Amino acid sequence: MSHAYLAGAAKRIAQANVVILLAYVLTFVVVSILPGDPITNVLRDPQNGFGEDEIKAIIAAQGLDQPIPVQLWTSLSHFVVGDLGLSMRSSRPVATLIAEVLPSTLILSSAAFAIALLLAVTIGYGTQFVPKRLGQGLLRGFPSFFLSVPNFVIGLVLIHLFGFQLGLFRVIAPNSFWATCFAAVALGIPVSARIAEVLIANLDKESEQEYAAVARGRGLTQMRLFAKHLLKPSSLPVVTVIALAIGELLGGSLITETVFGRTGIGSLVQRAVSTQDLPVLQAVVSLAAVVFVLVNLIADLVYPLLDPRVKLVGDSRVRRTTADDSAIASSATVTS
Amino acid sequence: MAAQDRLTTSTFTRAELAAPVPLRPIPLLRVDGLSVSYGPHEVVTNVGFELGRGESLALIGESGSGKSTIARAVLRLLPSGGRATGRVAFDGQEVLGMSERGFRPLRGRAIGFVPQDPGNALNPVRTIGAQAQEAAALLDEPDKAIRKQLILETFAEVGLDNPRRVYDSYPHQLSGGMLQRVLIGLAILPRPALLVADEPTSALDVTIQKRILDLLTRLQHDLKISLLLITHDLAIAAERANSLVVLKDGVIQEAGRPASVFSSPASAYARKLRADVPALNPDRYAALRDTGFRALKTGGGDTPKIGVSAVTKTFTVDGKTLTAVDDISFTVPAGTTHALVGESGSGKTTAVRLLLGLEQPDTGTIAVAGEQITGRSPEALRAAWRHLQLVYQNPFTSLDPTWTIERLVREPLDRFNIGTSKERVARVREALADVGLGEHLLSRKPGALSGGQRQRVAIARALVLKPDVIVLDEPTSALDVSVQADIVEVLLSLQANLGLTYVFVSHDLALVRQLAHTVSVMHRGRIVEHGTVAAIFDNPQQPYTRSLLASIPSGVADPTQLPHARPRLMATAD
Repeated sequence: MSHAYLAGAAKRIAQANVVILLAYVLTFVVVSILPGDPITNVLRDPQNGFGEDEIKAIIAAQGLDQPIPVQLWTSLSHFVVGDLGLSMRSSRPVATLIAEVLPSTLILSSAAFAIALLLAVTIGYGTQFVPKRLGQGLLRGFPSFFLSVPNFVIGLVLIHLFGFQLGLFRVIAPNSFWATCFAAVALGIPVSARIAEVLIANLDKESEQEYAAVARGRGLTQMRLFAKHLLKPSSLPVVTVIALAIGELLGGSLITETVFGRTGIGSLVQRAVSTQDLPVLQAVVSLAAVVFVLVNLIADLVYPLLDPRVKLVGDSRVRRTTADDSAIASSATVTS
Repeated sequence: MAAQDRLTTSTFTRAELAAPVPLRPIPLLRVDGLSVSYGPHEVVTNVGFELGRGESLALIGESGSGKSTIARAVLRLLPSGGRATGRVAFDGQEVLGMSERGFRPLRGRAIGFVPQDPGNALNPVRTIGAQAQEAAALLDEPDKAIRKQLILETFAEVGLDNPRRVYDSYPHQLSGGMLQRVLIGLAILPRPALLVADEPTSALDVTIQKRILDLLTRLQHDLKISLLLITHDLAIAAERANSLVVLKDGVIQEAGRPASVFSSPASAYARKLRADVPALNPDRYAALRDTGFRALKTGGGDTPKIGVSAVTKTFTVDGKTLTAVDDISFTVPAGTTHALVGESGSGKTTAVRLLLGLEQPDTGTIAVAGEQITGRSPEALRAAWRHLQLVYQNPFTSLDPTWTIERLVREPLDRFNIGTSKERVARVREALADVGLGEHLLSRKPGALSGGQRQRVAIARALVLKPDVIVLDEPTSALDVSVQADIVEVLLSLQANLGLTYVFVSHDLALVRQLAHTVSVMHRGRIVEHGTVAAIFDNPQQPYTRSLLASIPSGVADPTQLPHARPRLMATAD
C-alpha cells in the first residue's frame, strides 16, 4: 500500500463525509418545503387526539417554533454526533425505531444480494461453457428478460405460486424463512440482471482480446483460459456495478417489503410519509445516503488493489496508466 | 507425455522410411490448397507453401492480404466464424482436420506464436511471471523453482536486462520493446520446432525493430527453430527470410528465394510493392521536392516560417520531474519540410504540442509566420490555428465515424466562420480535389472509406482553412506501404503547388529521407543533430544518428546474420 494510495484514500474519505453532510442538508431543505404544515396536519388532526399541552410540548421538543435555519443547524449538529432526534408521532427516539426494523431489512437485502450474485455468476460464466446449440442463447436472454419485469410483479407471481397454490409458505407470516427466501428472490432477480449483463459483455470482450488468443496459442485449455485469464479482468468492472446495485436493493426492498407485508425500513418509511413524521423521514433518507456513499467509497478503495493498472489519485476518480506513460517515463531524463 | 510424443514421432518416421524413398526430407510445415472464409467471404484462396526445418519463410502482403489469417489458420486460432479448408501438415501430420483436443498438445510445445501488438498480447491484470509459468508448464519440469529459473534464463537470453524485475512486473509497467521480448521469450521457452511471428515489430521503433529481428534470426539459428514471419515490409522480409511468399487479396502473387523475388520481381504486384518501400527508393519523389530545396537555398523569404528557439518543457510525473523537451531550437524556411526524428519518448510529440500551442514551454519562444505562439491567450491561439493545422497519425481514430465526409471537412470553416455557406461548400470540394478525392464521397461516412482515403480526408480537413503550415504527426504510420506512398505523393504535390510548410514527425527514417528537406534528430528531449537530409543521411556525425540509420532495413541479407552463413563463419573463427 503505497503512500500515494493512502493519500488518495484519505482524500476520498474526506470527500465522502462532505457528500453525506450535503445529502443531509438537501434532505432537510426538501422535507421542510414539502407542502402542508406538519403541525396542522398531524398534531392538530383530531383523529390523533393530542391535547393542546401535548402539542406544545412536542413543538418545543422538536424546535418547530424556531426559524428553519436554526432548526437545520440544531438537527445537523445532532446528526453529526449520531443523535437522530425523536419521532414526532410517538416521541420515541428515531434511532430506536430504525434499530427495530433494520435487521429485517438487512436480512432481506443481504439474502437478495447473495441470490443476485449467484444468479449473475451462473448466467455470466455459464455463457462461456454452454455450447451454442445447447441453449447458450437462452442463457444470454435471461438478463434482459429479468430487467423487463418489475420486481413487484415477480413478487406477486411468487406469492401466488408458492404461497397460495403450493402452500410453501404462509402469507400471513411474512418473516418466516421461506417467505424471506421468496421475497429475496423477487428483490434479487432484477439486480442479478444488471450484474450478469456487465459480466457477459466483459467476458465476450475479453475473450476477443489478443492476449486470449496468445494464451490459447500457449496450449491452454478453455477451462484454464477462463479461470486464469478471463475471470479476473471480466469480473473487475462488476465491483462498480455491485456498488450501484446496492442502491437498487435499498430502493427495491421498500417495494418488496410492501408486497410481502414485511416490517422493515420500507414499512417505517411508509408510515412516516403518511403521517408526515419529519424526523423519521430525515433519518431514513440520510441513512440511505450514508449506505450509498459508503458502498461506493469501498468500491473506489478496493478497485486499485484488484486491478494493477488503476491508480487512486486525489484529483480524478481513478487513473489508468499505460505502457506509453511508463515508456516515456523510463526513457526521458529524470531530473528530480 | 513427451516420451509418448517422441514415440509417435519415431513410429511415424519409421513408417515414412518404409514408404518409397522420398526425394527430399518432409518439410516441417506444408500448406496445401489452403482457403479460409468468413461466411460467404473467402479471404484466403488456395494458398500453398513449404517451410523446411531451421529455415525461415516470410509471408508478405498489405492489410487484407490474408497473411495474418494464414498464420492463424496454421495455429488454428481463427476467430469464431472463420472456416479453413485444404491441408496444413505439421511434421508430416495433418492438423487442420484434427480435433481441438488432439491439436492442443502441439500449441506452445511444438508451435510457438509471437503476436503483432505486444501491448495487447499479455493479460493486463496478471504478472509477467504468472503468464510465463504457463509457458514453462509445457516443459515437463515439476519443480516450480527450476521452472522460474528457466524463465529468468530465457528472459536474459532474449536480451531483457533485469529478468527478475520483468518477472514481477505487470504488462503496463514495461515498454513495447520489452513486452515483445517477453512474448518471444514465452514462445521459445518450450523450445518449439516452429515459431509463427505475426508482424512482430510493426508496433516498435526502428532501432528496437532491428534488435528484435536480430534476436529472432539468432534464435532461429541457435535453437534450430523454423520461422514463419508475417510482415508487410518487403525490405525486412528480404533481409531475414530464406524464402518469400507475396500475397494480395488472399492469393499468392509470387514466391521464391529473396534474391529473385526481391531483386527481380516477376509479378506486377511485387514490383509495385518493391517500388513503394521508402528504404529502397530514397529519391523517388526528387522532382516534387525540388521547389522546396530551391526555397531552402534562397532561405525562403526574409523570416523563417517557423522559429523555435531554446524551448524547454518539463513535466512532473509521480513526484519526479521529467524534462520532455530540453533546450531545442530549429527554424523552418517557408515552403520546405522539416522532419523531427526520434524514438518513442524522445520528446517529439511534446515538441509538436508546444508548436501547436497546446502546451506552454517553461522557457524559450516559438514563432509561426513571424507571430509568437508562446504566451498567447486561448483566443489569440485560435487565430494562429487558422494558419497552423495538424494531421494526426491515425485516420482510423481521428475522424468522427458518425459524421459525413462533407461535415468533417467543412467543420474548420464553420468553426472559424469563414465565407457564406455556398463558399464553404465550394472550399470543401476544392480541398477534396486537392487531395485527389471525388465529390461522390461527400455524403459518405469514414467507415465506408479505406485507410488511405481517410488520411486524405484528414489532410483535406487541414487544407480547407488554407493554412501556411501543416504539422504531420506520423501521418502514414498506420497505413500500408503502398497507401503510404500515395499519401506521400499527395503531400509533396500539395507542397509544390501551394508552397506549404511542413513539420513532419516520424520515427521512420526512410520516409523522412523521401519527404523532408531538413532534419532534427531528437534523443531524450534534446536535438542531437540537425542539418539537411543529405548531410544527415550521408554523413551522420552522432553515434545515435548512425545507430538509427543502421536500423533501416536494407532488403539485403547481412551475411553474418543469416543462419546458413553462421557455421562457416564459426569455422573460420576456429
